[in-house]
Amino acid sequence: MAMHSITVTVNGSREYLDVPSNLTLLQMLRDRLALTGTKNGCEAGECGACTVLVDGEPVNSCMMLAVEADGREVTTVEGLARLYGDEDQLSPLQDAFVEHNAVQCGFCTPGVLISAHALLERNPDPTGEEIREALVGNLCRCTGYLRIIEAVQAAAEKGEVSDGPVYL
Amino acid sequence: MAQFTSDPVGKSVHRVDAVEKVTGAAVFVDDVQFGPGTYFARLVRSPHAHARVVHIDASRALEVPGVRAVVTGKDVDARIGLYLIDRPVFAGERVRYVGEPVAGVVATSEEIAVEAAQLVEVEYEELPAVFDPVEAAQPDAPLLHPDLGEYQVASFIFPEPGTNVSEHFRLRKGDVESAWPRCAAIVEGTFRLPQIQHVPIEPHGAVALWEPSGEVTLWTSSQSPFAQRDLIAQSLSIPHGNLRVVSPYVGGGFGGKAGVSMEVYAVVLARAVKGHPVKLRMTREEEFVGTTVRQSLVAHTKIGCDAEGNLLAMETAYYFGGGAYNDYGVNIARAAGYSCTGPYDIPNVKGDSYCVYTNQPIGSAMRGFGMPEIHWGIEQIMDQLAEQIGMDPAGFRRRNCVRTGDTILTGMEMPAIDLVACIDKVTEAIGWAKKGAPSASGEPSRTTPHKKRGQGIAIMWKAPAMPPNPGSSAVVRFNEDATVNVEIGAQELGQGAFTVAAQVAAQALGVPYEWVRVSAPIDTKYSPYEWQTVASRITWSMGNAVKAAAEDARRQILELVADHWDEDPDDLDVKDGKVISYRSEREQPLENMVVYGLPNENFEGWKGGPVVGHGRFMPTYVTNLDPETGQGTRAVVHYTVGAQAVDLEVDTETGQVEVLKIASAYDVGKAINPDLIMAQIEGGAVHGMSSAFEALRFDEAGRPINASLVDYRIATSVDVPREIHGDFVETPLEDGPWGARGVGEHVMVQTAPAIANAINDALGIRFNDLPLSAEKIFLALEERREEG
Amino acid sequence: MLARPGLPSFDYVRATTADEVVRLLKEHGEAAQLAMGGTDLFVRMRDGFIRPQVVVDVKHLPGMRDVVYDGQAGLTVGAAATMNEIARHPDVQAHYPLLAEAANSVASYQLRNRATIGGNLCNGSPCADTGPATLVLEGRIVLFELGGEREVPAGEFFLGPGETALRAGELMTAIRYPIPPAGSAGRYLKLGRSKIGDLAVVSVAVLGFPDGTAPSGYRFRIALGSVAPVVLRALEAEDVLAANPPGEQVFALAAEKAVEAASPIDDVRGSAAYRSAMVRRLTRRGLWEVWDRLG
Repeated sequence: MAMHSITVTVNGSREYLDVPSNLTLLQMLRDRLALTGTKNGCEAGECGACTVLVDGEPVNSCMMLAVEADGREVTTVEGLARLYGDEDQLSPLQDAFVEHNAVQCGFCTPGVLISAHALLERNPDPTGEEIREALVGNLCRCTGYLRIIEAVQAAAEKGEVSDGPVYL
Repeated sequence: MAQFTSDPVGKSVHRVDAVEKVTGAAVFVDDVQFGPGTYFARLVRSPHAHARVVHIDASRALEVPGVRAVVTGKDVDARIGLYLIDRPVFAGERVRYVGEPVAGVVATSEEIAVEAAQLVEVEYEELPAVFDPVEAAQPDAPLLHPDLGEYQVASFIFPEPGTNVSEHFRLRKGDVESAWPRCAAIVEGTFRLPQIQHVPIEPHGAVALWEPSGEVTLWTSSQSPFAQRDLIAQSLSIPHGNLRVVSPYVGGGFGGKAGVSMEVYAVVLARAVKGHPVKLRMTREEEFVGTTVRQSLVAHTKIGCDAEGNLLAMETAYYFGGGAYNDYGVNIARAAGYSCTGPYDIPNVKGDSYCVYTNQPIGSAMRGFGMPEIHWGIEQIMDQLAEQIGMDPAGFRRRNCVRTGDTILTGMEMPAIDLVACIDKVTEAIGWAKKGAPSASGEPSRTTPHKKRGQGIAIMWKAPAMPPNPGSSAVVRFNEDATVNVEIGAQELGQGAFTVAAQVAAQALGVPYEWVRVSAPIDTKYSPYEWQTVASRITWSMGNAVKAAAEDARRQILELVADHWDEDPDDLDVKDGKVISYRSEREQPLENMVVYGLPNENFEGWKGGPVVGHGRFMPTYVTNLDPETGQGTRAVVHYTVGAQAVDLEVDTETGQVEVLKIASAYDVGKAINPDLIMAQIEGGAVHGMSSAFEALRFDEAGRPINASLVDYRIATSVDVPREIHGDFVETPLEDGPWGARGVGEHVMVQTAPAIANAINDALGIRFNDLPLSAEKIFLALEERREEG
Repeated sequence: MLARPGLPSFDYVRATTADEVVRLLKEHGEAAQLAMGGTDLFVRMRDGFIRPQVVVDVKHLPGMRDVVYDGQAGLTVGAAATMNEIARHPDVQAHYPLLAEAANSVASYQLRNRATIGGNLCNGSPCADTGPATLVLEGRIVLFELGGEREVPAGEFFLGPGETALRAGELMTAIRYPIPPAGSAGRYLKLGRSKIGDLAVVSVAVLGFPDGTAPSGYRFRIALGSVAPVVLRALEAEDVLAANPPGEQVFALAAEKAVEAASPIDDVRGSAAYRSAMVRRLTRRGLWEVWDRLG
């Protein structure tokens, strides 16, 4: 099987990797870069636990090949705080999830945060309905979603915006 | 430390695990790194629901470069099980469901294991299969376990060898036959629930390492690290001390990660490649059929009341479709038997509860453990009885619901609870009998309105269903700066067990909540014993153990300082991390002294030493029940009760149901963390709502046809109600920490029947069978339109 | 039986020209699969339905992701344009809101960042959400082969479940939508098992517009999804609407004709009986909603 030399910027770090054709972006992040915050819940684009940002837009990383990420900028949950300038401080969204008890088992949380972040980037003042629709691809079995929706709304009300992806 | 919370019990402090979980730092089993020596496994599964395994040929698989071992039933002659040891690790001569593992392949990569598994050739000879539990219970049904009589079984489980009945629980109270003629209303019905799956967002995973020395370590996503150690050690004849189970955070359990399911395969496969960690992950598709599911149920239930609405008699037969192996499921049928009336005081009861083998995936524990299943029928019949005698359904429940001190169906005296207060709270919150108009949103202007609105109520009870003597233990250790490590064996599944442990320890020690750390991951080598994180027993049982450990540590501290100050320990207290004397008003910070002790005068020696508190809890008062009548002094430790009311609308053009609001109230005894309870109530209501629309489906040969998230839909963010009103009452539990009892499962038990009752209110149509698919509702409406 | 973890091995080739794609298809025949978003392809590979040796990524070909509107020629959508790129494109929103609505109904936001209209249509799935919209907008599918391209009207493109007019060795490069009829309004109604995000159990696209040549003064185009081996137009229903003045009775009759056009089956997502009934309900609902907008 063909191998490919790729260059990917992940959470601000430039990574040079040799990847086989069938390696998914999800497998690359988890197995090659040990960025295990991004979760594998279905490998079918249904549960959203593997959602990451590619050039600022959320995608299911199980549905994208690592080789397709060549030259792109990837942000995972581990890099979310960094987008707001200080990687040692929780981002407003993460903070709101803690405040509102929007976390239970925590397995869906990284993907939910990425989807919610992307929503606030494209729509800083979403309605409850818009939040629900933006999160329809992120399954959660614990919380019943309401606290997640409240937390996103609360983060939006704080109105802090990210610095956007940081290109090297 | 920025925050400083004194006396945290009763306060909605933040979860101890929240920051880890929002930063991606929280470690789940698939995140643990094992390095380049790791091997990967894949299971070979039966394509037949019932068949004889004639021959297995692994030679082609073994030729694949990178394959290290293939293990089959020939290599592992072992059975495993919790209450009934009926499950072979690998199928030997017989497979009993589609998806049953017949072999496992170990290779240097998951990809190679997957490819090689396809090359394992298995010859089968098909046998007749049976899927319906009532059919399976008949004498002429295909027999799944001819050796049932030889299986080891717990003393309180009663299988019927020669049949497919793995458990038959009998409840006999009063005389139903003489009561029926006195009834003014009798409602009888058959209710069916399909198998459903837990769908934790984290699939099952396990990694096992079998050292050449015989030491074995298993990393799992488990609600039951200690039970896994016990069951696997027994099954594979490993000394308990040689088997270590490590369980990091669990990404959702709901009962599906209780006991042992796929984890044992990692262990037997690791035995074949000693010295290498072997990783086995379930795909989402395998999760649906290859782990465990909630059992199916067919319930034949008949209940009667007099003209004033007093319940007089109930006769019921519950046939749980337990799937191919009932090692855990037998106790679900038992629990359904000893609680068969639901939360009602009924003087005459005849109940039979059966667990029945069927050629389906393994039925096992799921949130509610038999209670959602039986309440589905009971709570609909209660509405019908109320209607027949012209009573309000809420009033009917107030009249008949179980109360403190009642002698309940098993002869046990009901511990203190207040179910009436729960009913009052939910009827108030939902605006009972003041239902709003259906919405007209999305309708074209010139068509007739097609939405119907309805309200429904349902109540519940549930006892922790477990052996009579499941224990908890805890250790509380101080660090030099007076921060505290709490060691427990209870697992964090999202419900908040670690947060509760920290709150209980802080409260009982007299230190701020923020000073407490919970030692994780749970590791049977280092963590103190906990039976299982199931049955909503942790806040109560673990809470008691942590409280006892903290009190032990506190006593050590007080005795030391009392000795130092020459005072009576009874005059001292620990407050906000300081020892204070109410008599002398002296103060002594805990810092350093909890590790180094205190110096004698002029440093003439030292007293004290590192403070380590130990605590344990085990209920000692549960008795066995008479096998013929189900009567006994104390069937269970206690019950948690609650009520739910639902407001919904149905689109009569499509059959789609939109749940607008759910109001829930439970008697929690004492809310250790009110916001965590609300989080359970919300999540549970949505889980319960979702479960009303879920079903695992099979073709006529027993093959799953919707084993994926594409075709097994769970509630998403757009499906959930706009409002969930949560509330609780606090009637203290005699032996709960500060009176607390569990509520994690209860919050979804009666949601489905509350929805069914609301649909009936909206449409005047009853649905006895789950799921409540839009199609089923629409076709029922069509049938009525044609008739009408 | 059950999907495997991970993808089976294959060679990934990132094609840069259409000629290269066609050459690779010739060279590898059925062993090659074209990939755009991969959201269907990868799932089918995990399920074991297909096992390509070569996966040719065609989304980087020139123009493959372009969405271009021209007041004369209409809209050209590159086959590898994602659902989100289509749904949020200002020209699509302004002139082809029905297409935006259909694209926006696919799965979830993050999947729509990968899923492409070309992939959606090429699969020949009767539940493809952009199929009914493409039919009523009378899109033309642009197929490239060595030596040139041909256009196939959408109505002739879908041949059966998984079968399209795409020939071996051809590549879908774009969909061309003519300027919609003046004054038109459209609606895509999709019924799934959950409120949004599901595959369609039944879907109906309706496009209506005033037309002086029709006896009723209006024409409606109706297309159905998930109720036949292919997405299809309900032409007899359309005739009823052209011949008779709009209103409840005519809409009900048209809905009946739509039901007759459908030939649904029982499957895990719904029964034939339910699907037929939903074609009736959704068609009628769709006609009313479009009529409201026209009025």
